[in-house]
Amino acid sequence: MSSSLDGFPEGQVQFDLERGGASVRVDAGLYPLEAIYGAAYVFIDRCFVLLDRADGGAYRVWLSPKKATDEQSVRAMLGELGNELLSCAWRAQIAKESRSIIEAVTARALGGARGAPGLDDLEAFDFSDEAFDDPLGIAMSWEEKYGKKKAEEPKAEAAEPDAEPKP
Amino acid sequence: MTELRFHRDLYDGETVDEAIKTFERFATIERAEDDEHWIVRLSADAPPRERRVAGELGNYALGLTIRRSTGAR
Repeated sequence: MSSSLDGFPEGQVQFDLERGGASVRVDAGLYPLEAIYGAAYVFIDRCFVLLDRADGGAYRVWLSPKKATDEQSVRAMLGELGNELLSCAWRAQIAKESRSIIEAVTARALGGARGAPGLDDLEAFDFSDEAFDDPLGIAMSWEEKYGKKKAEEPKAEAAEPDAEPKP
Repeated sequence: MTELRFHRDLYDGETVDEAIKTFERFATIERAEDDEHWIVRLSADAPPRERRVAGELGNYALGLTIRRSTGAR
């Protein structure tokens, strides 16, 4: 004989006294399957857990505490399950959003771990390829950019003999 | 007799078979199937034992399914 449980939304939770547990209906649009797996896994040391499909494409999670099967214990477990579902769904969302960043960082770390390039890699490398354009001369050294130009030095030396000695 | 119904969308069939193999020495187990479920019927000497074996079998199948689904990612 199943009945709904006080404190939970109507129709979401069904308490079954004979079997010593309760089931909760989980909306598939709000909670992805990996969140339901994650939340269910947290309880398998304390409860017997069974998953099933419900009408309308939803999921149904059945929980039955291993030791105490009174209404109070079942209610506490269902409350925890609700919180855990929310936590797992949020973590799944964060993992989904940051997947590309994690993959890029991992690829870069693994690329660096390969070590220095070998002789074959160096032979195949195109050293003539310019890294980037430098119209402002940012990549030039200080001497190249502001140092005395070599062409001016001989001119200055050549001007000295022609100069007339001052009285 | 206790009947467990494992939905095909949620449980890997191989994990249900593996769970049955693990627990068949603790109860008499029959297997069946319909369009949507793998069905396991089990009976043991006493109702508390039957409840416990059925529950642990379900947990075992669920744990293996979750481990496989996260490992395959």
